[in-house]
Amino acid sequence: MKLVFYNDFVPGIVTGNKVVDISEIINGIPHVGPGDLMSRLIENFDQYRILIENAEKKNSGIPINSVRFRSPVPKPGKILCMAGNYLENGTLKEPRPINAFLKNRDAVIGDGDTIILPSAPVTIFHHEAEAGLVFGKKASKIKAADAYDYVFGYVNVIDVSARGLGPDGGDAFFMGKSWHTFAPIGPYLVTSDEVKDPQDLHIRLSVNGSIRQDYSTSDMGHKIPETIEWATSIATFNPGDVLFLGTNHQGLGALQDGDEVKMGIEGLGTMRLHVNENLKRRWETVGS
Amino acid sequence: MKLAFFNDYQLGLVKDDFIINLMSVVSNINAPTSQDLINGVISEFNTRYRSLFLNASISESEEKIPLSQVELRAPLPRPGKIVAMAANYMENGALKEPKPINAFFKSPESVIGNGDTVILPPNKATIFHHEAEFGLVIGETAKDVRPEEAYKHIFGYINFIDVSARGLHAPSFFWGKSWDTFGPMGPFIVTADEIPDPQNINVNLWINGDIRQTYNTNDMGHKIPRIIEWASSITRLEAGDIVICGTNHQGLGALQDGDKLEMEADGLGRLSVSVRDDLKREWPRGVDKEIADRVAGR
Repeated sequence: MKLVFYNDFVPGIVTGNKVVDISEIINGIPHVGPGDLMSRLIENFDQYRILIENAEKKNSGIPINSVRFRSPVPKPGKILCMAGNYLENGTLKEPRPINAFLKNRDAVIGDGDTIILPSAPVTIFHHEAEAGLVFGKKASKIKAADAYDYVFGYVNVIDVSARGLGPDGGDAFFMGKSWHTFAPIGPYLVTSDEVKDPQDLHIRLSVNGSIRQDYSTSDMGHKIPETIEWATSIATFNPGDVLFLGTNHQGLGALQDGDEVKMGIEGLGTMRLHVNENLKRRWETVGS
Repeated sequence: MKLAFFNDYQLGLVKDDFIINLMSVVSNINAPTSQDLINGVISEFNTRYRSLFLNASISESEEKIPLSQVELRAPLPRPGKIVAMAANYMENGALKEPKPINAFFKSPESVIGNGDTVILPPNKATIFHHEAEFGLVIGETAKDVRPEEAYKHIFGYINFIDVSARGLHAPSFFWGKSWDTFGPMGPFIVTADEIPDPQNINVNLWINGDIRQTYNTNDMGHKIPRIIEWASSITRLEAGDIVICGTNHQGLGALQDGDKLEMEADGLGRLSVSVRDDLKREWPRGVDKEIADRVAGR
């Protein structure tokens, strides 16, 4: 199932080329905004799945090209991002020591939105296309063997990154990663039953039509079960929390004013973003 | 005004040795969680709840319970964000200028409250430290705020201990700071009107009754208006988010099994938590001179 928000954060599901409104089914869920509405739908999904499937059968829906998609997880409880977690097309002999950072939950934007690059004196802004997973249950101290039981679904994510701002040698992920609009997620949240092998997903990102990143999650250093075991050994995760699984840095390139970014993973849809940068700085563009 | 959660997350107003139950006053707030409830109070405090709470505090009809008979809970049980300033003190003036401004996020699930227990994980840390910090509770949403407007966005203040594991994977704030239970806060939020000069507050921390950290917020490197200006240039700060101002490393010491940890910033009450380490590891007691000298550049 592909869960979405569209237009004025109407909850829906995408089926074929149509989107079906599910707000009547879930509007009894207590919430203060779309973010915690989605988190609680995820938490209680067993109770709603059949109702939603029935709505899908009865309702013809409206064409997806007539709506504006929003992020399906517009305000996750938290976002944890794996750092340096790919073998870089096999060039590393072994994974780097496992590490991660928390990214700003208020940085989330959705399909069709604009990444706004700040005026801070960066050396460069990078796109990091990643596979993201969404937790389905409260998860604390989970064993790798049980990890997939805690995964609700998958999303396209871009970990937009500003380089060169932090203190030398220190951890400056806050300044590098947490700027407003630096967490595009979408267009769909795809439930895990539709993703046959999350460790064999093809990720593509292009800028202005030129392919930049093009890699598979099979190259991941610490695989999904291990990352979940490790992350939940440190912090408790809740339904709707998002884990970014890291990027393969081969193919990263500059983001700059006017760029049109297209990113997608097979089965998870395609997300398009604009880029705005008021200072109009230019960086050399890297071809494919 | 001192706002607290108590028992099963009833919202209360602390007045002298009593706590007044405010739940009947806040029943209109759309609040699926306790954090949503306090966020709702903070968002409409000046326009609505300040006067309602004042009335409740002098009314005979509201439930008034001796503080000694309740269990206080974390006043921000799961804040939207915890922004923690890194190395933001002059170390009692030992540094000539502030270090470059920097921060990290701490996991919202790290929060515990008064009377709770910090649980040290079994991982091979070189040491676990207490970092007593002065915490800012955000009121009105802040984005791209100028320093002269910063205090308008602060709802109140709170004691916060940034519990820290060293040596697990340097430099990594997630590994160091985001363990569950590594964010003791409380016992209550004190509204900004009760703290006339937040840049002149004594912060004290004791272990088993022995003083460890004792410093003043006037030693802060980047002051509160600059912190709000800088943090809000990067991210929106919302009602109920918390910004902790960093610690003075002079006086840090090891945390270990059985320790009783107490912290008090002037006017913010006494926060008390205990420490558990199932491995019963031992570190030298007293002040950790190594980190004190290193951060002070000695």
